[in-house]
Amino acid sequence: MNKAYLGEFEELVLTMVCILQEEAYGNAIVNEIEERLGRQVNLSAVHVTLYRLEDKGYVKSHMGGATQARGGRRKRIFTVTSAGVALLRALKEARIELWRLVPQLNY
Amino acid sequence: MKKTDPLPHPPKAALRFLAWFCPPELHEGIEGDLRETFEQDLQKTADNPRGSDDYRISRARRRFVWNVIKFFRPGIFLRNKFSISLIPTIMIKNYFKVASRNIWKRKLYSTINVFGLSIGMSFCILIYLFIRDEHSFDLFHVHKDRIYRIESVNYSQEKASKGETPYHYSSVQAPLAPILKDELPAVECATRISKESGIVQYGNKVFNEQFTCVDADFFRMFSFHLLAGNPDKIFQTAQEVVITPAIAEKYFGQENPLGETISIQGETESSFTVTGIIQAPPGNSSLDFSILLPLQSQESLKRNSDNWGGFRYATFVQLREDANLQHFRENLDRIVQEHMADRIALWKANFKPPADVKIFQYRATPLPDIYFKNEVRGSSDRVSDPQYSWILGGIAILILVVACINYISLALTSSAGRSAEVGIRKVVGAYRKQLIAQFSLESILLAVISMVIGMALTMFFLPSFDEFTGKTIRFNTSWLPVCGFALGLAIVIGILAGSYPALYLSRFRPALILKGKSALRVKAGFTKPLVVLQFALSFFLVISAVIMMRQMHFIADKDLGYNSDMILVIPTQAWNEEEAVRTADQLQAALQRESAVLSTTRTNNSFNRGRSVYAAERYLVDPYYLETLGLEIIQGRNFDVNNPADKKKTAIVNESLVKAMEWEDPLGQYIDSSRVIGVVRDYHYRSLEHPVDPMMLTMETSEYEIPRYILVKIQKTDVPTTIDRIKSIWTTIAPNKPFEYSFIDQDVAMQYQSYQRWTKIITFSTIFAILIASLGLFGLTGINTTNRTKEIGIRKAFGASLMHIFIMINKPYIRFAVIAFIVAVPFSYYMMNEWLANFQFKVALSWPLFAGSMMIGLLVALLTVSYHGIKAALVNPADTLKYE
Repeated sequence: MNKAYLGEFEELVLTMVCILQEEAYGNAIVNEIEERLGRQVNLSAVHVTLYRLEDKGYVKSHMGGATQARGGRRKRIFTVTSAGVALLRALKEARIELWRLVPQLNY
Repeated sequence: MKKTDPLPHPPKAALRFLAWFCPPELHEGIEGDLRETFEQDLQKTADNPRGSDDYRISRARRRFVWNVIKFFRPGIFLRNKFSISLIPTIMIKNYFKVASRNIWKRKLYSTINVFGLSIGMSFCILIYLFIRDEHSFDLFHVHKDRIYRIESVNYSQEKASKGETPYHYSSVQAPLAPILKDELPAVECATRISKESGIVQYGNKVFNEQFTCVDADFFRMFSFHLLAGNPDKIFQTAQEVVITPAIAEKYFGQENPLGETISIQGETESSFTVTGIIQAPPGNSSLDFSILLPLQSQESLKRNSDNWGGFRYATFVQLREDANLQHFRENLDRIVQEHMADRIALWKANFKPPADVKIFQYRATPLPDIYFKNEVRGSSDRVSDPQYSWILGGIAILILVVACINYISLALTSSAGRSAEVGIRKVVGAYRKQLIAQFSLESILLAVISMVIGMALTMFFLPSFDEFTGKTIRFNTSWLPVCGFALGLAIVIGILAGSYPALYLSRFRPALILKGKSALRVKAGFTKPLVVLQFALSFFLVISAVIMMRQMHFIADKDLGYNSDMILVIPTQAWNEEEAVRTADQLQAALQRESAVLSTTRTNNSFNRGRSVYAAERYLVDPYYLETLGLEIIQGRNFDVNNPADKKKTAIVNESLVKAMEWEDPLGQYIDSSRVIGVVRDYHYRSLEHPVDPMMLTMETSEYEIPRYILVKIQKTDVPTTIDRIKSIWTTIAPNKPFEYSFIDQDVAMQYQSYQRWTKIITFSTIFAILIASLGLFGLTGINTTNRTKEIGIRKAFGASLMHIFIMINKPYIRFAVIAFIVAVPFSYYMMNEWLANFQFKVALSWPLFAGSMMIGLLVALLTVSYHGIKAALVNPADTLKYE
């Protein structure tokens, strides 16, 4: 399998990690996706995807500070790595490249 | 109440469940997110005015549980498994590499292990195939759950007094089947089955055949596939016959047999039209047949159709789908009352059974069960003794255990070689669990290699195994479960054989091992009992094999009281008195003119031939009988050819009869209203399983005692020509009857066929067990002497002689062997006593037999051990000690 391959959902989650910056943890991503795209996603699916992205080296994670909310549990904050940013950029450029090849008719 | 609680908690059980499956390093983050969702849910529903507090809380809790469950997915908990059990997938590759290097490096030991394990596994696979086949019997019938065999159970005073089960026959009276079908609404179909034999003729093809007589319902009940013909119309008339393709080929060759007419000569002679071709019954059918005739064509049925006293028809019924079995069984009892009341009254008067015992009853056995009912007398064509499965399985496990012990003891004894590896692995951070996993993986790998070879061996052994068990097991049918079984077996064996060495090796303390090479000698005390066990199992087999072979020799060499050399047995192929006597007269007259024929005689029962061989105590003979068989008259005289009075009411009796009757002077006494004119020395007219029972020889023929066989003693030279001559004489006398012959000694040997087979399989397994065990022993002593190289060197340097060293190395093994022998003797004594109980005439289980077996075992063990003993003793101490 090509190493630089990302599934649609993986790409979405990775993008969200970029958007949310310091606030990128599982629940925030679920809420963000719902808010921006109106799409209901599963918390566990997001988690599994985040761990997979971590395995692939596109994000890294650390534990955030303790809070009063969440029963005192810390957040696992994900941050995008430069490989992740590079991949997202490459994907975007490839897509734009492809879009250019589509005959620009008046749809 | 819940309102007072400021913060509703998520369900505790769900939290515990999460904590259980969730990897610890992920747990906090996940639980936090879940709790946050929970809080959001509470918030969200709180805005909804319709929901009560209780409702919104329970709803949030439900959603929490559901979310936790959604986290229970491989992506989460498998991370858990790999991180907790600390078997990084990265290492597995390394384990395989090290394992295969080790197997390759120690070729001798690997070969010994693989050899033993593959043979053991191939035995196990064969037994698996055997047992699977045994349990597939009769299951191919579509209506198997509704078909029952009606059996009869007779009370017997004699058996009851011995505490045995009553007589149980698989056959019942002729009128039962029609009555069941007519009177009981629950019975849908019923058929009787009876086996007959006779001469079948088509054109110039004449053979003696067995045929099976059935009712028309047979084709509706059983799922034997009809290749041609209409199952609903077959056997509506009496003159039809249905045959298997093999029989069709035999008589009709390439012709179309349908509509052809064959003549069958049994009790009477009549012709039958072929109206159907039926597929031969599969190997796992307990009913067997090749020619099917309608039962109503048989004279015997007409005689018996209203006879409640004759038990000769196997009877099967098929119940309706809605039938009540309990009800059906009660109805069977009612039928006994209705139709057999007078007989039962008579029996009761005669035998006086206890009040609570039924003197006679019918029993209905489901079709799938009849195969294992070997206790039912006169059972179906193929029955099994479940004992076979046990014995074969026992042997297979025995061999497998011997092979596993090889693996364990070799692994333990050579563990010194692996200790450095264990030490290093531990130092660089391997956990004990990892090492156990590694060594288990190694043994599983070896077991899987053995499995592949074992499968190949199985395919190789299968034809001879089929021959031995009389089955037709094929590998190609559904081999997938077989492979599954073999793989499962390999993994179980790998874990069983590998677990102890794995536990043992992984226990090494790295500091001790790595400190210096002097700590290399490790002792595994557990090896000794294993080796003793291995010896004991082998001895058990050796003793059994030796005793069985001795018994077989005993049977072959025993003086049977007659001379069976070069005696042909020729069936007269006649079923009535007049014809049989005529054939015998003509044949004997013609044969006596032949120079190669020494003498001929006639009889109604030859050795191991004829129907009534077990019950016959009255033998029809002629004056030449004694001469032909070389029997000895010890009192009185033989029948006189020239004295017609001898043809009626005279008898020659055997010694046993004289003894049983307690006659002082047997001559002139009367037995069975015949006058005794002579006494013949006891001879074994039945197999050695039975005592020589009282018997008598007469010349008087009757409806039931007709000359069925002609015994012909011929000269030893040029036997084929003589047989050809006899055949041509036969053709002139009985041109439309088949010529068949056998030799008496062959017939007699046939009686012991099953014993011969068991002897063969035990001998065969013994050879394998001994081979595996001694190979293991060879490896073991090899390692042991290597471990003791320096010790031997020092001993030699101090002046120990070669003999001394040799004895030192061999002594422990002799001690093992003696202990093992003492353990094995009682078991084999018990088993062999059971086996020999089948015979009335047998070898005594004497000490020399056991001692002889022990000598064989010990000799093999010593030979194996000695190689290394001598090799070690011969090494120059300078070579082993020069580096110190």
